[in-house]
Amino acid sequence: MASTLRASRWLIYAVLIGTALFMLMPLLVVVLNSFRTAVEIGRSSVIGWPTGFAWENYISAWGHYCIAQRCEGIKPYMWNSFALVIPATIISTLLGAIAGYSISLWRFRGDTTMYAIVVMGVFLPEQMKLIPWALVLRELGLNDTITALVLIHTVQGISFTTLFCRNYYVGIPQDLIKAAKVDGAGYFRIFWRIVMPLSPPILIVTVIWQFTGIWNDFLMGVTFTAGSQQPVTAALIAIATTAPTDVPQYGVQSAAVLLAALPTLLVYFLGGRYFLRGLTAGAVK
Amino acid sequence: MVVQRRKLLAGTAALAAFPGIARSQAVKPRVTFISQWSSGSDGAAITGLGKRFEQEGGIWQHSPVPGFTTDMMNKLRAEIIAGNPPAASQLKGPEIAVWSKIAPTVNIDPLVEAAGYEKLIPSELIDLHKPQGHWIALPMQVYRTTTLFMSRPAMKKVGVTKAPKTWAEFNEIATAMKGAGITPVANGGMRWDDGMRLEIALSGISCDAYRAAIMNLDPKAMKGPEMIEALVQARKFQKWMDPNTAAQHYSVHLPAFLKGDMGMLMMGGWAQGVIKNLGGNLDDVLITSVPQNEGKPVFVLNADSMIFWKRKEPDLTAGQQLLAKLMMQKDVQEQYSQTTGSIPVRTDVDLSGSKWTDGQREASAVLNESFKSKRVLLSLAHNMAQTNPITAAMIDVITEYVHNDKVTPEQAAAQLVTAVDNARG
Amino acid sequence: MRARLGRYLPLVIIWLPLLINAAHVVGFTAWTTWLSFTPSDLLPEYSWAGVRSYRAVLRTPSTEIAYINLLLYSVGFVGVSTVAGFVLAVLIDQRIRIENLLRTIYLYPLAVSFVVTGAVWSWLFNPGLGIEKFVRGLGWSSFHFDWIANRDYALWTIVIAAIWRGVGFAMALFLAGLRSIDPDLHKAAQIDGAGPWRYYLRIVLPGMAPVAISVLVIQLQYAIKTFDLVRAMTGGGPGISTTLPALVVYDFMFQRAQLGRGTASAVLLLLSLLVVLVPYYAYAHWRARKDKAHG
Repeated sequence: MASTLRASRWLIYAVLIGTALFMLMPLLVVVLNSFRTAVEIGRSSVIGWPTGFAWENYISAWGHYCIAQRCEGIKPYMWNSFALVIPATIISTLLGAIAGYSISLWRFRGDTTMYAIVVMGVFLPEQMKLIPWALVLRELGLNDTITALVLIHTVQGISFTTLFCRNYYVGIPQDLIKAAKVDGAGYFRIFWRIVMPLSPPILIVTVIWQFTGIWNDFLMGVTFTAGSQQPVTAALIAIATTAPTDVPQYGVQSAAVLLAALPTLLVYFLGGRYFLRGLTAGAVK
Repeated sequence: MVVQRRKLLAGTAALAAFPGIARSQAVKPRVTFISQWSSGSDGAAITGLGKRFEQEGGIWQHSPVPGFTTDMMNKLRAEIIAGNPPAASQLKGPEIAVWSKIAPTVNIDPLVEAAGYEKLIPSELIDLHKPQGHWIALPMQVYRTTTLFMSRPAMKKVGVTKAPKTWAEFNEIATAMKGAGITPVANGGMRWDDGMRLEIALSGISCDAYRAAIMNLDPKAMKGPEMIEALVQARKFQKWMDPNTAAQHYSVHLPAFLKGDMGMLMMGGWAQGVIKNLGGNLDDVLITSVPQNEGKPVFVLNADSMIFWKRKEPDLTAGQQLLAKLMMQKDVQEQYSQTTGSIPVRTDVDLSGSKWTDGQREASAVLNESFKSKRVLLSLAHNMAQTNPITAAMIDVITEYVHNDKVTPEQAAAQLVTAVDNARG
Repeated sequence: MRARLGRYLPLVIIWLPLLINAAHVVGFTAWTTWLSFTPSDLLPEYSWAGVRSYRAVLRTPSTEIAYINLLLYSVGFVGVSTVAGFVLAVLIDQRIRIENLLRTIYLYPLAVSFVVTGAVWSWLFNPGLGIEKFVRGLGWSSFHFDWIANRDYALWTIVIAAIWRGVGFAMALFLAGLRSIDPDLHKAAQIDGAGPWRYYLRIVLPGMAPVAISVLVIQLQYAIKTFDLVRAMTGGGPGISTTLPALVVYDFMFQRAQLGRGTASAVLLLLSLLVVLVPYYAYAHWRARKDKAHG
């Protein structure tokens, strides 16, 4: 009995570690490649041990590599992405918390209908939104700016953030709210004093989700900004689509990919535990 | 007396200042340009053009759009919708006609006439740039898609000394190469490559059949015997290619090609630039025309062009005039084509200097001959013969045929007809 | 005056963002639907053209291939990642010592964009550059792994990349669900003498049904919207064998500049989403009513 238990423990670890290796493989390949030169990679394969530490890949990717005739690496594009993601995440999360609170706890006429419509936004495919947004941006006079992207991602983000927050807030007992109302507390008081203190788990999940989603978006970024205003995803595409007259620079590409993915990876690394906690608390029902 | 002198002084001072005033009224030409040419030799060429523009006193503002041509066209469309088109942009082939209907363009007839440009370029090209009867766009460079590159080391291995003149000879050489362990065809598996191989086969079989089927979309020609023959030949190409090539760019095969492990590449003239960038030696490659069963030269043309969008700002208008003038000039075209490996649009450029390669000379000679004998055709795979929807529908059929053995040539030909009908709605 | 403000300000705060978002949801969908009945090509045209675009879209070969692919891809990706996610969640729940490390490893793919995922996996699957070349370099010279170049197998390479990315998410949700099961149930089962298998089959699985359904729905709607991954990995090729509905929409709208057909295929895509979502909403509604009934 003890030995089957032992054996089954081994089996469990084997499966878990095997899966972990499968998950890690691409990351390993990219990290190793970022230290190899394009010549090395072209000669052997993308899977291989670096023969030296080609740090120049990183230096080039960060500061020198020529992307669309601008030879400053991905550094300027990273700043653009930050300028886009931070406001959009904060605003959409805040608005989602307020909306979630309003729909699930404060209640108002038409709240279920509004909720249904807003959540539908989660399911709309991006491609069909490109031209409508172009028309809207024309009316607003916002083109080729990070502000345009912040607007787009905030408005679209409200769908997700409301979904998450509302599903979480339904877990807060209505009696708490009723009691506070009886005590004379209004909309804002209840929000700040009761709802917000209970919110950290869901806020973290929402922030992680939004940060990652907006940082990694490509279609909107490429269509609605130009040149030096573009987010880093567009820069990655520019590096990856080597012109027919160039040799693919896998080494620098790998370094650029890693640098560009660092923020979101860090977010998951530091926030993974809270992500799980938030989900446990019912982000998705 | 004093008053008079003072008036004179004031007058002189005003006069001295006047040229300054006049200068500040003059407008510095500026141009905003979008294209997909962000790197490689295309990027270098457009940057060179920009520098020349600046040398002539203009302000050059080029925003390349990363990604594929579609991404650039989307950006262009977004800007047009926003009412803010660039002063000039990349656009080619029949799309010039289509897009000219959605936004106002600039009539550059006076500039073209002043340069005496029209008699210097093939009529097929002219028509594409004058969809409403006047010039609104200018071609920038010309490529031949029907170029045959042969690896000299591979040729030596099978004892071949001359390029094939007919498809039958080509097939013999290919069979021999296969027998010697060389991969006969070094092309890749991208959509446009698949499409190009069919147009190469068809134009090499019959110039008239190509014109009827591909350019005029005559259903009889699309199902006709020449098309079937071309489809059969395209299948043969497939058998002679590296089986791992799906969705691969042909350039990954170039190292093997230059060494002699792969024998023949049917590609546009731009491949010269790629080979050079890889550090390859062009002496190792024999560059000539693809086989022509009819014995007479044919030139299948691919050209990049720029279109001028109407803008109210005087500095942009001045910029457009300057850019148009430059683009038609001999030295600018020479500079551009030398950078990319294309041939200049003007047929009166002398290519005998050392800055030009044999490949470019040969292509230019073929262009001139084909121009005279009216055997210049427009490339399908590179969006010259038809608008994007029709091209995409046809290439869908061709690329499926190429990668799917179960489709017969007759079926593919029939599918082409249905696809074109459907695309035209 | 202050009371007035106190009454109206919340309403503004509640309604303004919701209305803006709802306007974009309803407006864009309505615009797309309307355009699908017009003869629009490069730019929107608002005249009526009937179902011409729909007929043209349905007659285009890539549409049929896209939806067949979607079926295969959904079953493969959603099926495998859901089952695997559940198994992994159960295994991790067994008081594993390296749980934190494992959880980070399983979750990190979610931080990576689809574009990068597709690009890296396309390197790995590339026969001349990736796994096949590597294994052959190790000595096994007849090793074949050119699925991505083969029109009959290429779709499965995309499924594998999608599973790589989706397993972590499924696992996270299932783990969250497992952790919210009342621990007393486990003790009660042990007291009753039920072994671990019995416990999982009889108590856990049924209890996980709502979570499983959430996972399935979320993964399915991601599958239906898949675009960046395919574009980065195969571009829809070889030939058009790996195309999916979202790519067909993009192709019509932007590559071929035929907005009428693009919006028609977008409407078809939305309809296929409804096929997944409507039953889900009905189910959620039924469950909510059931919960209310049971107090």
